[in-house]
Amino acid sequence: MSKTLRLGPRLRYPITIVNLLKQPGDAVKKQQPLFRYSYKWMKEVGDAIRDDTWEEEQTSSATFDSPTEGDLKQWLIKEGQVIRADCPGLVVKEACGHEIQFQGMCGICGKDMTEVSWASETRDTDRAPISMVHDQTSLTVSKTQAQRTENELQKRLLQSRKLTLVVDLDQTIIHACIDPTVGEWQKDPTNPNYESVKNVKAFQLNDGPRGVAHQCWYYIKMRPRLEEFLRRIATMYELHVYTMGTRAYAEGVARIVDPERKLFGNRVISRDENGNMFAKSLQRLFPVSTNMVVIIDDRADVWPKNRSNLIKVSPYDFFRGIGDINSSFLPKRQDIITPAADIPAVNGNGAPPVGGKKAKEGEAAAPAEGDLAVTQLQVEEQKRALEKQMMDRPLQLLQLKQDKEDEEAEKATTQSENSQDAPPSSQPQTRHQVLRDDDDELEYLEQHLTRLHKVYFEEHDRELQDAAATDDFQLPDVGRTLSTLKRRAMRGVTVALTGMIPNGVTVEDTEIGQQLRSFGATVASRITRDVTHLVVNTLRPMTDKWRQARRIPSIKIVNQDWLAACFSQWATVDETPYLFSVASNGAPAPAVEEASDPDVASGSDEDAPPKGIKRLRLKAPTLKLVGVGGDTQELDGDESDDEDDGEDELEAEFNNLAPDALEDGQLSPIDGLKSFNWGSVDEELDEFLASGSDDDDDDEDEDEDEDEGMTDADGPAATRKRKFDADEDKEEGGTDSEVPSSQETAGSRSGRTSQAKRLRRTKSARGTSSLRNQYVSDVDGEEAGKQKKSSLPTPQVTGDEDGGELNGLDAEMEAEMEAELMAEFEAAPGIMVEEKG
Amino acid sequence: MFFLHNLERRVTLHPSYFGRNMHDLVTTKLVKDVEGTCAGDYYIIAIMDTFDVSEGLVLPGSGLAEFTVGYRAVVWRPFKGEVVDAIASSVNPHGFFAQAGPLRLFVSAHLIPDEIKYDANATPPQFTNNADMVIEPSTHLRVKIIGLRTEVGEMWAIGSINGDFLGCLQA
Repeated sequence: MSKTLRLGPRLRYPITIVNLLKQPGDAVKKQQPLFRYSYKWMKEVGDAIRDDTWEEEQTSSATFDSPTEGDLKQWLIKEGQVIRADCPGLVVKEACGHEIQFQGMCGICGKDMTEVSWASETRDTDRAPISMVHDQTSLTVSKTQAQRTENELQKRLLQSRKLTLVVDLDQTIIHACIDPTVGEWQKDPTNPNYESVKNVKAFQLNDGPRGVAHQCWYYIKMRPRLEEFLRRIATMYELHVYTMGTRAYAEGVARIVDPERKLFGNRVISRDENGNMFAKSLQRLFPVSTNMVVIIDDRADVWPKNRSNLIKVSPYDFFRGIGDINSSFLPKRQDIITPAADIPAVNGNGAPPVGGKKAKEGEAAAPAEGDLAVTQLQVEEQKRALEKQMMDRPLQLLQLKQDKEDEEAEKATTQSENSQDAPPSSQPQTRHQVLRDDDDELEYLEQHLTRLHKVYFEEHDRELQDAAATDDFQLPDVGRTLSTLKRRAMRGVTVALTGMIPNGVTVEDTEIGQQLRSFGATVASRITRDVTHLVVNTLRPMTDKWRQARRIPSIKIVNQDWLAACFSQWATVDETPYLFSVASNGAPAPAVEEASDPDVASGSDEDAPPKGIKRLRLKAPTLKLVGVGGDTQELDGDESDDEDDGEDELEAEFNNLAPDALEDGQLSPIDGLKSFNWGSVDEELDEFLASGSDDDDDDEDEDEDEDEGMTDADGPAATRKRKFDADEDKEEGGTDSEVPSSQETAGSRSGRTSQAKRLRRTKSARGTSSLRNQYVSDVDGEEAGKQKKSSLPTPQVTGDEDGGELNGLDAEMEAEMEAELMAEFEAAPGIMVEEKG
Repeated sequence: MFFLHNLERRVTLHPSYFGRNMHDLVTTKLVKDVEGTCAGDYYIIAIMDTFDVSEGLVLPGSGLAEFTVGYRAVVWRPFKGEVVDAIASSVNPHGFFAQAGPLRLFVSAHLIPDEIKYDANATPPQFTNNADMVIEPSTHLRVKIIGLRTEVGEMWAIGSINGDFLGCLQA
């Protein structure tokens, strides 16, 4: 193949071609002189010691040596020509393009590609930079070769009307573990898990990490109905395996899943050949075009470049709590939708457990690419994780725990014999199994893949027809087809999430958010009228958003299983089975809330403080009873006396309550002032001035005041102000209910003018006073403690945190113990909660 | 090509082995250390015998004794242009890999006769001329080496089956 050679930038331009040493048709070898040229340069001559030098122009000649080997076809320069800059010089028909290289040798001519010489400016190894073979990294090809190979592949696939499907192994089509307990259970027909594990296949791996986990048995559970699934899918797709496990592991699994090697053939790529420990890339296998490639994987974050081709399946978690045994290298996953049914997570191997995995997130820094030290560390970690699983036997623990629970339950009902010793035939119910084989993901997956295949080839045929007319055939992109299909699934649905994602992360950036959008749903960061569904995490119910959403009948409040079902079925599934109800989750029943309602109403009806303020305060997440009671009362108000501005105000209020829109939150108190009764404020103030007798802890308070950039005054004025501060804080807690307290107080304080502050203060003092008698101290405290505890194990606080402080305050106020209030107020929220709860 | 080659190597022996059968131990250690390794551009296949075991010299500082051993070994040095028998190990669209003893060979599709084509639909994928020639993993082949490269302790080759009497070996 012909190649045009440039003269290169290294020559001393301008040059004059003296004579051409080769004629077209001549064979040229590497480093052979091709032409002679002359150039001019300045030479310093004279006596340097006497400092008597001058420059003289010199003319020298040199030869241009061939950087490549082949036959000279044509000169693009001629003798006598003056060349001033780098330009094409000649055309050579290369003997070999070195398009396939193996270990530094050309696979076509067998020459050593690692040799470098003065004549060529580029290295021959750079000619074939692409590695696209499944089981090798040492074999590289050039771009044209890759293109050629891929075109052939596409042609072949189109002929057989197939697409390419890249299949992940772990937790997508199988679940693996190395817990020896499984083997024991398999041998023991009396074990309650026997039915579940009897179909678990196993293989032994020799290349695993040395130590305890060396030569251990890998137990592989195939996803239910996997065989039929693969057999049917293989008629529409050419299957590839792409796993983050080792080569030996991948082949072991492939042997189990596909013993005849009919499905996957040799198309298996593993971590060893991937070239990247942290991410998978379709470009590794299909460097030119991914137009016909679909991926199924349980993790979307490992496919950073190929999201459009990805069908994310819900992770298969058969060996509960084991997770993905090959995921130690990957960043901890963020996208798990924990099933609503509470699962005791056993963190078997440092892989993320099902439940509170976020707890150890601190240690999982994003791995630096190509960092050998980190990789080494992770290899160690993987090894440790495997060993830990061998030693700890998480499944056994799980079963023991289950047995214990069963036992207790049994004892509670009848005084029958010990379930452990009971023959299983007589008492099949006594021991509950830990492992359940009830996964139906593949059914839906098959439907989706079938549909995708159908739609793609319809599109392809249409394109082909068009091409017959225009002669311009373009292969449709299956990624686009997939997006179109998916986008129909949840169109028109606006979803708000609560308790699902960590604070401080924008919903759009999270895995769930991205997935929702890919399904055509709109993700709302706060509750508005547009929201159609609120997804509540059953592990963290009772959030602020939930409370807001409860008041809008059009919002369907569902648990996270609904989301999971939608994702796996690609449809907006019927919400009925997933509706989230308070009672079923052990939260206080609404009846209790209503009980406090009359109090609330009676306490606030006479001077009717502005709605906005009252609502805001009542929204404080942990003022649970009051909050909910207030809600009821408020809603009543909306219906009766606020009809004129009910709609607008509701909207405005939503904005005020918005978790991540501080601006809105700041506006709210001032809005409330418009309809403020200033007279009663003054009265309130006077009352405070008169009653202020607790100046002992002024000093403690000073810090607080200085924070605000205000100078503290002595005497009753100080007391008054302090009091307002307290109220104000409470007020703010209500406003920015989604933000943790410490951050919130600091954040909302800074950046406000002192004037606004003063105004707000007055107002909030007013508002509080009228509601003071609503606080139910003891229940509040309890509730606060409970909530606090429930949100502790994870950093995903959705605003429940500040409640402790607020509640503490309320309780103290209720008791009129001002001094103690101040002490509490100064203390950190956490401490106070502990005291309370 | 196989050669009988006279080689020399320094073998160190731990003091705890000093004794009557020291020379046997030296030979054993030599065999263990050397057999089956790639020494530059040849593989040491087997050690025939040791013909010269020098007197041991105790190394200052460590106490180990060092023997200089002259030995005779069968070595295999693949040459460019040599024809070797190999077993195919994996097949891909660009060519196939084969193993000639310790040597890993790659035969690219360019160096396979034109009538032998890659067939991706077969299980497992193979190169075939739809007649007697089927190249899939574990097929025995006769390959001509056209390129060789060595690195410390490793050696690779590029092979060709484009020529008379090259290709599949009839069983």
